[in-house]
Amino acid sequence: MKKFNIAIVGLGGQGIITMGTVMKNAALNSDLQDVSGSERRGGAQREGYVETFVKYIFYENAAEMNSPRKNMHSPMIESGGANALISLEPLETLRGIKYLNKNSIVIFNKTPYIPISVRMGKTKYPEISFIVSELQKVTKHIYYYDIDAISLEKFNALTQKNIIALGILFAKADIPIERSAVESVLAEGKGAENNLKAFALGLNL
Amino acid sequence: MAKSNLFVNGSEGDKAIVLGNEAIARGALEAGIGYASMYPGTPASEIIAVLDKNKKHVENLYTEFSLNEHISLHGAIGASWSGIRSLCAMKNVGLNVASEPAQFLAYTGVKAGLVLAIGSDPGAPSSSNEQDDRWYSLHTYMPIMEPSNIQEAKDFTKDAFDVSEEFSFGIILMAPSRLCHNAGVLRFGNIRDRKNIKGNFKKDPENYLNLFSLAVKNHAKYLERNELLKKYLIESKFNKIINDGQSKIGFISSGVIYAHLMEAFDILGVYDHKILKLGFSFPISNELIKRFFEGLEKVVVVEEAEGFLEFQIKKIAYETGFKGSIYGKEFFSRTGEITLDDVISGVSRFLEKPLPVSFDFAAKKDKELSDKLPQRSGTFCIGCPHRATFYSILKAVGFSNTDEKERDVVIAGDIGCYTLGLLPPYNAMDFLTCMNAGLSIGQAISNFDKSKKVIALVGDSTFYHSGIPVLLNAVQNGADILYIILDNSWTAMTGHQKTPSTQKDIDGKPSANVLNLKDLVKSLGVSYVKSLDPNSVKRFSAQIKSALKEPGVKVLIAKRECILQEIRRNKSLFKNDPKVAETGESLYEIQKSRCVKCNECFVELACPAIILKKDEDTGGDYYYIDPASCVKCGVCYEICPNSAIRKVEFDLKSEFKIDGKSLEIAI
Repeated sequence: MKKFNIAIVGLGGQGIITMGTVMKNAALNSDLQDVSGSERRGGAQREGYVETFVKYIFYENAAEMNSPRKNMHSPMIESGGANALISLEPLETLRGIKYLNKNSIVIFNKTPYIPISVRMGKTKYPEISFIVSELQKVTKHIYYYDIDAISLEKFNALTQKNIIALGILFAKADIPIERSAVESVLAEGKGAENNLKAFALGLNL
Repeated sequence: MAKSNLFVNGSEGDKAIVLGNEAIARGALEAGIGYASMYPGTPASEIIAVLDKNKKHVENLYTEFSLNEHISLHGAIGASWSGIRSLCAMKNVGLNVASEPAQFLAYTGVKAGLVLAIGSDPGAPSSSNEQDDRWYSLHTYMPIMEPSNIQEAKDFTKDAFDVSEEFSFGIILMAPSRLCHNAGVLRFGNIRDRKNIKGNFKKDPENYLNLFSLAVKNHAKYLERNELLKKYLIESKFNKIINDGQSKIGFISSGVIYAHLMEAFDILGVYDHKILKLGFSFPISNELIKRFFEGLEKVVVVEEAEGFLEFQIKKIAYETGFKGSIYGKEFFSRTGEITLDDVISGVSRFLEKPLPVSFDFAAKKDKELSDKLPQRSGTFCIGCPHRATFYSILKAVGFSNTDEKERDVVIAGDIGCYTLGLLPPYNAMDFLTCMNAGLSIGQAISNFDKSKKVIALVGDSTFYHSGIPVLLNAVQNGADILYIILDNSWTAMTGHQKTPSTQKDIDGKPSANVLNLKDLVKSLGVSYVKSLDPNSVKRFSAQIKSALKEPGVKVLIAKRECILQEIRRNKSLFKNDPKVAETGESLYEIQKSRCVKCNECFVELACPAIILKKDEDTGGDYYYIDPASCVKCGVCYEICPNSAIRKVEFDLKSEFKIDGKSLEIAI
């Protein structure tokens, strides 16, 4: 049995849930494959922290898949259990740090969204250099871009940033899912043309 | 959902990625329900929403967003008595409202299967408490099924209808938010033929009439049925004993926590202990537990909340003479959500097995950092009329976020999107408990502490839920209070279900039976009632100020539609009508030269579209309205004391206006 865990974090409205849905739909083509993962929704919708987990499981055989010791999986990722972390907001990357281990790949978006507590002058927003140095204490595989700016420049909208980030994930991490599977999910969904472009753009960053 | 709408058309052999809530709904569909209802509540809302959305593609399906849970469960009972399999859903606290029908359901029994799906919310990410509804069953006797994953959410729901009919109980299907909002692979089954779903109410006075000795007789009958169900559950497929080791240690668990537990064993490399997975967490058969206890010296119950299973297991251990020890809450917290991490740590402590290095390191790193990071809390959407309402209230009572002084007006909170007003920077609520507590508690406070003015808040959906008798009570008893109804026309927080206030649907179609809220309030005997647009903050604020000076019950209706719905509707109209595209554009901007950073817009109003930007020339910061996120509600424009914010309009004829005045500028 092989597993691959992806944690995706960010803020309500950034398309985090959609990213999870796309990645999960790319895992429907084999019977010996399972995927699930919970989402944080509800009160977190408005500018609050949102996270979604994508947990892939690849079984060796049907017996393994039917064994009660093997086939029951938590919808959550444990501390240190993510193979990859994608964060669409720099500060939230640090909230996702608990999922990382020394081999994890981190991809994050550099554009900050200032929380109310900072706005009121009660706390300070951390510098990007602080965020990177904290992440480096756990893993060396860190990639960050101004994905907001890239999305605005190429698509004149922020809406593509989530799919760009998925492209980057495939460029930087060894994902046990075919790129073409993701592309066909995107091709079948809403806004297919821009999404496919955004995915390709991310792949080449 | 895949494009071919498998939710409706899928059959055996199909699979798709679905949400836990959708899996529950699909299970009910496979079981042949003809009735589905709920009062919306996170995390359960999607259960009925997905059925409602698809009902035009499903034969003989009635769906209803009822005005409250009490009505909703009664509706499901009526459908069941008419021979229609029925599904009712609600969030955890909904059962408090529906506790009365739940209490009677065992007395009367069901005809066609009835399932009550409850979304519990440990950790309260979207609730005002953490209540574990399972305890209700100790007196309602409603059996409880707890699916552990998406597949079981569908399969258990489907089976629940058969069990319901066989034992004549309404079955509770319990799913925590972790399962409701878990998305993953679901393998479909076949749907029961829907052609013959037809109501036929047959009188059954023996069961349906409950009074005096009739009630006592029915009480005895359901206790008997409960014993029959217990017997059935000894060998049923729902409860499983997994035993492939020689260990004298046993684990008991249910639901999502069981899924956490199995993964925790894998992560800790533990494979030899005996496990009992309870698909039914109520009732629990003594015989089943006795069989599980065989050969065990130590048993630990792994579950969330205050130990409903542990309570039952310890009682059974006493009754069956188990000599070993039973643990539970010593290792797993009574409060908050029990996460996968918590189960790993608890099992590791119980078995005295070390934690994996990467787990330990990551958990410590998180702990070390979490205090240093600025907290992030949710807030109102950009352009939300509630933001204007809170701003107006705070201005009317002379309070500023940055003041040191205490706000002397008492503000009573209630349940809805506007509850976010209790968070910084507004801090505009003094208490918050359950639906419609605001006005009733507020009425008593204003009665006993005459030195303080009291403002009670309520949303339209919450008001219709159970607020009408509360308002009538305030009028009847001569209360002195200002009641503000924040009428945004939708049950917005749970995904925009309609309320009696909804004027137009999202496609622009006018609703049937729209209620005139102002007339309703008047008819309850309120003479001081005014309806205003909260986005006209100066006018609204002045109105609040003068209402506070009047005696008696005053009602102000802050009437403005939820901005998300307005935008969605305009978008679809825009798409269908090319003429709308020609009406030009406008934007609001802060003029750097005039802005003195007084913080009226940035901190007091705190609209997230107003952001801090670095000035490349001076190195300092300035305030800036982000045109990509601003929805042009114009509230900041109205409140700026220095006229630093201006409205810029331009249209296709190249006319260019600033603050409504035309300018001749070559573009």
